[in-house]
Amino acid sequence: MSDEEHHFESKADAGASKTFPQQAGTIRKNGYIVIKGRPCKVVEVSTSKTGKHGHAKCHFVAIDIFTAKKLEDIVPSSHNCDVPHVNRTDYQLIDISEDGFVSLLTDNGNTKDDLRLPTDESLLSQIKDGFAEGKDLVVSVMSAMGEEQICALKDIGPK
Amino acid sequence: MHQAGYNQNCAPPDMAKLQATMRAIELACSSIQMHANPSAAEATILSLNQSPQPYQACQFILENSQLANARFLAAGAIRDAAIREWAFLEADYKKSLIRFCWLFIMKHAGSPEGYVQSKVASVAAQLLKRGWLDFTVAEKEAIFLEVKQAVTGSHIVDVQLVGINFLESLVSEFSPSTSTAMGLPREFHEQCRTSLEMDYIKEFYCWAQYAALNVSHRITGSDTAIPEVKVCSAALRLMLQILNWDFRAKKKAVESSKRGLDVYCGEIKQESNFLGRSECILVQPGSSWCDVLISSGHVGWLLNLYGALRKKFSCEGYWIDCPLAVSARKLIVQFCSITGTIFPSDSGYMHGQYLVQLLSGIIQWIEPPDAVLKAIECGRSESELLDGCRALLSMATVSKPLVFDQLLKSLRPYGTLTLLSVLMSEVIKCLMENLSEEETWSWVARDILLDTWTAFLMHLDGSGHNDMLPAEGISAASNLFAIIVQSELKAASTSAFSDENEYDNLHASIAAMDERLSSYALIARAASSATIPFLTTLFSECVTRLHQGRGTSDPTETLEELYSLLLIAGHVLADEGQGETPLVPKDIQAQFTDVVDADKHPVVILSGSIIRFAEQSLDPEMRTSFFSPRLMEAVIWFLARWSSTYLMPPEENKGNKSGCENYSNAQLRSEHSKNALLSFFGEYNQGKLVLDIIIRISLTTLVSYPGEKDLQGLTCYQLLHGLVRRKNVIAHLVSLDSWRDLANVFANERGLFSLNATHQRSLAETLALSASGMKTSEASNEYIKSLTSHMTANLVALSCKNDFKNIAQQPDILLLVSCLLERLRGVASASEPRIQKAIYEMGFTVMNPILIFLEAYKHESVVVYLLLKFVVHWVDGQIIYLEARETAAAVDFCMRLLRLYSSHNIGKISVSLSNSLRSEADTERYKDLRALLQLLANLCSKDLVDFASEPLEAYGVSISQVVFMGLHIVTPLITSELLKYPKLCHSYFSLLSHMLEVYPEIVAQLNNEAFVHIAETLDFGLHHQDGEVVDLSLRALKALASYHYKEKGMGKVGLGSHATSYKHPGGKVQEGVLSRFLCSLLHLLLFEDYSNDLVSSAADALFPLVLCEQSVYQNLVNELLERQANQMFRLRLTNALQSLTNSNNLSTTLDRVNFQRFRKNLHSFLIEVRGFLQTI
Repeated sequence: MSDEEHHFESKADAGASKTFPQQAGTIRKNGYIVIKGRPCKVVEVSTSKTGKHGHAKCHFVAIDIFTAKKLEDIVPSSHNCDVPHVNRTDYQLIDISEDGFVSLLTDNGNTKDDLRLPTDESLLSQIKDGFAEGKDLVVSVMSAMGEEQICALKDIGPK
Repeated sequence: MHQAGYNQNCAPPDMAKLQATMRAIELACSSIQMHANPSAAEATILSLNQSPQPYQACQFILENSQLANARFLAAGAIRDAAIREWAFLEADYKKSLIRFCWLFIMKHAGSPEGYVQSKVASVAAQLLKRGWLDFTVAEKEAIFLEVKQAVTGSHIVDVQLVGINFLESLVSEFSPSTSTAMGLPREFHEQCRTSLEMDYIKEFYCWAQYAALNVSHRITGSDTAIPEVKVCSAALRLMLQILNWDFRAKKKAVESSKRGLDVYCGEIKQESNFLGRSECILVQPGSSWCDVLISSGHVGWLLNLYGALRKKFSCEGYWIDCPLAVSARKLIVQFCSITGTIFPSDSGYMHGQYLVQLLSGIIQWIEPPDAVLKAIECGRSESELLDGCRALLSMATVSKPLVFDQLLKSLRPYGTLTLLSVLMSEVIKCLMENLSEEETWSWVARDILLDTWTAFLMHLDGSGHNDMLPAEGISAASNLFAIIVQSELKAASTSAFSDENEYDNLHASIAAMDERLSSYALIARAASSATIPFLTTLFSECVTRLHQGRGTSDPTETLEELYSLLLIAGHVLADEGQGETPLVPKDIQAQFTDVVDADKHPVVILSGSIIRFAEQSLDPEMRTSFFSPRLMEAVIWFLARWSSTYLMPPEENKGNKSGCENYSNAQLRSEHSKNALLSFFGEYNQGKLVLDIIIRISLTTLVSYPGEKDLQGLTCYQLLHGLVRRKNVIAHLVSLDSWRDLANVFANERGLFSLNATHQRSLAETLALSASGMKTSEASNEYIKSLTSHMTANLVALSCKNDFKNIAQQPDILLLVSCLLERLRGVASASEPRIQKAIYEMGFTVMNPILIFLEAYKHESVVVYLLLKFVVHWVDGQIIYLEARETAAAVDFCMRLLRLYSSHNIGKISVSLSNSLRSEADTERYKDLRALLQLLANLCSKDLVDFASEPLEAYGVSISQVVFMGLHIVTPLITSELLKYPKLCHSYFSLLSHMLEVYPEIVAQLNNEAFVHIAETLDFGLHHQDGEVVDLSLRALKALASYHYKEKGMGKVGLGSHATSYKHPGGKVQEGVLSRFLCSLLHLLLFEDYSNDLVSSAADALFPLVLCEQSVYQNLVNELLERQANQMFRLRLTNALQSLTNSNNLSTTLDRVNFQRFRKNLHSFLIEVRGFLQTI
């Protein structure tokens, strides 16, 4: 299967495209944007002109939401940019396997077992410790453009 | 080292110990310099500073140490210790310290280590000030006699310098803006200031004058630099410093010292109103100075001295910037700003003569302008020219406009204005030739001269009577303006292609040029009969050039020139409104009296040609070829500024008929021409037509310039927003087709979703505000409904979709939701009583969708914030008008919102790999919480203002309980990390202290957990570094304690169990909350650092606390006394504590008078004891 076909299939799967076009001028700080094929969160937008009497262009500084790498882009503000569809889903944590995968309970009662523990130290230790203490933990999983990552944690344990 | 300090001052000196201390300090000094073990060295030095009575050791070091740094530190230690221990040093010892310092500097006069000398001099000055109010007049006289001897009596240069330097330190110590803090109330500094001004400062001036006078003939007589030059320039510096003193008339000084603490905020100088940015400070020493400064020939002497110096600039040791020349010039400039009662009331004759004398000296520095400037271009120093310009500025500031112009007439065949105009034209020509260089002297000269014009013309404007400029002045102004415009246009066309310009966008360029342009505008208006037609000609030339070159040449340079012309024309024609409705500038009104036909009025012609040009932007072809975004920004800016003055002006109907009978012919003509101008663009003439053009242009910028944020921002915020602020414009606005088009495009089409979200919010607000132009309230509500119904329906439909949870996070849905919310927020913030119903309906419709969105977007902080902000604005605009039933619904909705928000966020940890994303997340939480607190504060206002017809209680709603509940929900979300954001911290504490002050009875009913939380928060607040937060906490504390005390007095429980101490079963004693606060507040007051401003509010909190917990207080007092080992201190402390609670007839009732008495007691208590308590 070639990459392109795969791309097409997954698009059909989800019933929605991975990215949407949106005019550069309407993308705000804290919004999302695709730069160099990566889904990013915008941390800074500034506008300038191409020559004194030219048109406005937007200068984006953004951070890859999965790798935390900083990316930049300059786009004429009337042109369209790709905006990623960033989804966040909450799952209850049911197990942590020895090889570093987590087992999550989905809404319809199935389990989702293909996610790795996060690499972030503090989140990792919070998950492990909390789970060891028997707390009821809900993790938020962020997904965009075919990638997934645990991004937040919440203790809903009995009070 | 430590023991060394303990030597009592009466005990015989122990040489060995003193030597050891000196060596330790010297070692520390050198090791700090070499960076060897700096912390240990610092500790050694600090221990000297903090040890009790280190005077002998310090004096020993000063006299014996070979190391200058050590001497410097010893001087500082004397100062610190003496200020700290002042209250219990013996009177003679205080004097001997000052005398020691004085003798030291005299003895070491001429020492090469100047910094030690000036440090010791300043220590002497500070100690003298500290004891100023205690010393008798004779004691002070004795000190000053020696100083006078040194300055005037001796003829040894070094001794004279020492005396002058000491006086300099003294004057700067006594001047409040440069004084050193001494831990004393401001009143003290103010008393010292007044006393010095009344009794000594003039004498000091005379001594300096005498010293300078005595050496001046020797300086003029010699061709090389002689030592006396130093004395002379130091004396001139001291004189300048004294003239910089902020003199107050004697009567006022007495009043202000009576007023006590308000002395600093009380007087707002009137001059500052019309001085604008000029740096010229008026010198108003009062009539007693006349003999010294005016009638003694002092000015003539100084001018002669400088004149003689000028001839020596070629000699060795003298040059244009040598210290003596600089001081002399500065003093001359300062002389120019002398004004006030020092001159006799002879209708300005003496003042005029005085200024003419000064001008005769100064004119040599600036005339002839072209030759002077040429010399500077060739390398001569510019400082003389700049000082000359400054002198002109001062003169223009202190003298009446026409007098200012006349000054030069007695020396030259032309007036001062002509000189000013020629000088400035030359400066601007210089500027034009050196466009590329930045911040050269010619910039400085131009700015000072512009300030001079401004000062002069503002006087003309502010003087009330219509002083017209003489013809010579008018032509001077118009010539100058022509050169200014020429230079601006040249600057514009040369910079047209420079890509990287920091003033890229209009906001920045306007802000940078605004002051300059408004000064230009003043000059232009002074000669508007010539300058406005001149602008019209230039503008049409530019437009013609644009059309001729169409398609064949690059228009950029012309576009840039048009851009500049629009900015200049906007400034000349109209003033900035700053929230008010600006009138047609007086100068423009006053001129053109001979114009009868409105359409021949130069202002109308200029405005008309600009509007016609702007209208061309509606044509798509013209737009693409000429109307670049940048030019369009200038067009919109001009239209915004112009329309707020000329479009449908409010007074056009007034004054037409009434009162005309009494006018003379000329007045009648001017009135007529003024009315012609006003009514031309009025409601019943061209106004509506122009308004329509403006709206169509606005729609074009919003639709046809995609992504041009700045341009669209200007259109939304300045132009449209400005229009809907004015009642008579709105009435016509809503009847225009173009406005309805705009509303329709906005409400029902998707096109404007591409606008920046905040612009959409502003546009929504603008459109909603225009509803008040409708004739009836029904029509207004109907209009709002039609504006919002499509948007609310859209939101409701979205929220009802079955798969909403799945599609919610798609970017297009996200964009749609956030745009719609921004718009609703805009409409909500336009709330007015008249359209309140419709806006309530709008909010009511989306209540449920909002909760659904809050759930669906709980991870999308941007949307969450929008949701909260919408609710905040909606509640803010609505709450006071709502009926009880509606209030119940709204309050219920808010509580559900709070709970939902809290359930999503409490205990949540979001983690991101990126630092900046993490700090962003913190900021977002902070903003959310701030919004929530605002929401609670808005709810609170229902209890203060309520227009509902029936009481809320009928529906079982108690606002105070609701707000406490809200606080209870919100408080756990506020972490101490988040309280580091000052704004959040302020709003949290102000809400909390408001609640405690207004509803202390509810606090008493809180359960233990909630109460403990509040107590902890207050404790946190007490120790916060921000004074305002501490103040708020103290106010809350006062409220709590007062409530408890009063309730107890009536035999009720007050705070009940919260306030009583009890033993836990485990044996641990749980202290009552009030006694805990009493402890920590006393500790804070006695041992910690805080600003003096807090003492009053601390007193207000402490007083009821002491009354509530008298036995606890007594225990604390005993403990404090027992800890005090030193007998003398213990006695002082006992007395101070005694008078804290007993003096001033303090009684045990909590009323205003008692609070005031206690404040006074606490102030004097702290002054008495804090010095030794803090250090020991």
